[in-house]
Amino acid sequence: MVRAFNTIAFDAAKCDGCGDCMVACAQAKTGTDDIARSRIQIVGREKDFELALCRQCADPKCVTVCPAGALGKDGETGVIGWDASKCVDCLLCTVGCAYAGIALDEVSGHVSKCDTCDGNPACVPACPHGALKYITTANIYNEVGDWEDLFAPGLAGCQGCNTELLMRHTLRRVGPDTVLATPPGCVPGMGSVGFNGTTGTKVPVFHPLLTNTAAMLAGIKRQYKRVGREINALAIAGDGGASDVGFQSLSGAAERGEQMLFMVVDNEGYMNTGMQRSSCTPYGAWTSTTPVGAGCSAGMPSQGKTQDAKNLPLIMVNHRCAYVATASTAYMEDLYEKLDKALLASKTGFAYLHVYSPCTTGWRFPTHQNMEVARKAVETNFVMLWEFTPQKGLRFTKPVDDPLPVTEYLKVMGRFRHLSEDQITHIQGKVVENAKFVQRFSEQAHGG
Amino acid sequence: MSTATLEKPATADAARKPKVILCEGNEAAALGVALARPDMVAVYPITPQSSLVEHVAKLIADGRMDADIVDAEGEHSVLSVLQGGALAGARTYTATCGPGLAFMFEPYFRTTGMRLPIVMSIVTRDGITPQCVWGGHQDAMTVREVGWVQIYCESVQEVLDTTVMAFRIAEDHDVMLPVNICLDGNYLSYGTSRVELPDQADVDAFMGPKDVNWHVALDPLRPMAVDPLTGGSGGKGPSTFVRYRKSQCRGMQNALSVITKVHEEWAQRIGRSYAPLVEEYRLDDADFAIMTLGSMTGAAKDAVDEAREAGKKVGLIKIKTFSPFPIDALLQAFRKIRALGVVDRSVGFRWNCGPMYQETMGVLYRLGRQLPSMSFIGGLAGADLTIPHFHRVIEETEALLTGPMPSEPVWLNEKD
Repeated sequence: MVRAFNTIAFDAAKCDGCGDCMVACAQAKTGTDDIARSRIQIVGREKDFELALCRQCADPKCVTVCPAGALGKDGETGVIGWDASKCVDCLLCTVGCAYAGIALDEVSGHVSKCDTCDGNPACVPACPHGALKYITTANIYNEVGDWEDLFAPGLAGCQGCNTELLMRHTLRRVGPDTVLATPPGCVPGMGSVGFNGTTGTKVPVFHPLLTNTAAMLAGIKRQYKRVGREINALAIAGDGGASDVGFQSLSGAAERGEQMLFMVVDNEGYMNTGMQRSSCTPYGAWTSTTPVGAGCSAGMPSQGKTQDAKNLPLIMVNHRCAYVATASTAYMEDLYEKLDKALLASKTGFAYLHVYSPCTTGWRFPTHQNMEVARKAVETNFVMLWEFTPQKGLRFTKPVDDPLPVTEYLKVMGRFRHLSEDQITHIQGKVVENAKFVQRFSEQAHGG
Repeated sequence: MSTATLEKPATADAARKPKVILCEGNEAAALGVALARPDMVAVYPITPQSSLVEHVAKLIADGRMDADIVDAEGEHSVLSVLQGGALAGARTYTATCGPGLAFMFEPYFRTTGMRLPIVMSIVTRDGITPQCVWGGHQDAMTVREVGWVQIYCESVQEVLDTTVMAFRIAEDHDVMLPVNICLDGNYLSYGTSRVELPDQADVDAFMGPKDVNWHVALDPLRPMAVDPLTGGSGGKGPSTFVRYRKSQCRGMQNALSVITKVHEEWAQRIGRSYAPLVEEYRLDDADFAIMTLGSMTGAAKDAVDEAREAGKKVGLIKIKTFSPFPIDALLQAFRKIRALGVVDRSVGFRWNCGPMYQETMGVLYRLGRQLPSMSFIGGLAGADLTIPHFHRVIEETEALLTGPMPSEPVWLNEKD
């Protein structure tokens, strides 16, 4: 399989250009204080510093262009090594690298590049501001990359949609002994159940009605349990089908403790049918049924949704489900931990996983910014990531002690661009109120 | 799990004394369900069905029935749970009526398209508005075009026997359609009478092996996509859809012979027989006939007997199997008579007549001659259809032999 490896990460916002990292590198690698010979270079003046350092690329151009075979990627460590005995000093590699990660050391007369000091890079601890981190990347990728992707290639999601990512990761983890329910919405819209006799999924999959997902899954799971067969009953549903018309069957199944994992992909509206309002749509948001009007009627300007969103995961907490959690596609490791716990809980009870999943089409932001939007939602406390069990109560998994102003979130997408000051004030107030409410839950809602 | 034993002798032991009990129709239905050994029952109470699911719950609680019972939060989920169960291989049962059936309509409609052999009693109820918790066929008639097999019972004993037979009919590989056993709210649901309880071993032999999801399943051992999107403006999509629909219609037509076959086998093994599609009563030398459905038939037969004694050459035609509509059996009966009065326990709003009469008019077109006929509507909202009512039906139908056909229905129970 293709692996991802450790790397040195750089946070430009924390760097003040002091150069301590370069000194540490020069000392470690050349025994001198000559920062010109450092393999890490901080470039820039005053502010906006940039990093010139080998990224240990997965598909390294320096290796490709080297005519002598002097550069090669180590299959174990991922480090791109340089072999002095083969190098012909042509410097083609320095042209091939887009990151200035390999450069001529004028003292030695050869190229030099970062070798991560055998996994213990000298530069990282030398940084007094925490701008450098030696991080393990793509744990999830390394861990589950080998597992079978149980969706067919070529699902028809919108460009930039991360629901497809979520679906693939989820089913990879849950595995082949699964019956998958994908009620009408974006998930079957992408082709999970297929069209005209084809299928998009390698496990048994079906469209429930928008209204009866939890009930149908309950029947399936019960019958296999009756005949002594262990299967996972998994729903990947939208917020509309779960919070509105399908809520009765969801609530009924949760109350009865039906054994299933019910995942809601919350893109805050009926995005598959053309971006209409659901009860999970936030206050003020434009949708195709809460449009931003040109004028006023009865003295009230139409300026997006006029009600606050229903907090569906908290409602599920009040069903005393075996497991309830919120997650975000911007925090995949957190999501994976919750997926594991939810899957385990679904063997004995009702597990509910609510995943906030921004919709590039319906929320109106550029297709490459999905993760940024998802992250901003968490960083502003617009959504909160937590988990609940009846035994341990509610616990924040990504507490945000110093949230950004909600405008940092609202401004990154078009569905809020019309908001008035009053509306923004309302939203900020609700964010604070909601945070306090969930906080009180985390302090009080212990014991089942 | 079904423990059917096909090795058992194929005939009922004539010497064996049947167990006789006294029970209401709802309990008889529950006992029939227990005899059929379903894996899964989902329930939600509604008048006049409630005592039926209470009896089922008690049978399970007492260990007399080995089924998983799901107390769902409404009829919509009741049928949805059973759909899931059936797709995983379960023999499934529920019961409802009136507003419950209306609320269930979305999965009810879907059950037929997925060809799931779910059995469901409709303890028929009138309404919804004017508000009414009493009997009437309006609920079952309203959904008659959805594609469930619908069988109406006349007596409490027939409720028990037909409930068991319904599973065989639904699960027959040539049918694979859900079945409604319709029993009249109040008159059959609460009507108490002597009932003979079949022997479980005989029923097991009758039922045979269970095989409910051979054609469509949600099973990791044979993964498939159930109900992918189909249709479109041309090509493979609509062609697939058309073939689905044709197959569904074929299953419905196959049900006519399967229902007959299953009734014959029931008679052979259990020793009780019923006309499976259409019953003809004193029809062979009749000049005219009245047509009935469900529990009203008892009073109607009594009226026919009395009219015969008074010299009127009247017979009776009772429909047992309403869906599929038994066209050929009806034609056979209609060939014997010269006038027909059809008594409905519900209203057909579009044609201003009873729904059964409306369906019958389609059959009359195929008769090759004009058969004067008329519609009676009675027994709405729990009203009793008595012998005097049927004498009126007989007299007005007899008048068709010499007089004109009325264009309006005759409404019973309005003033009498």
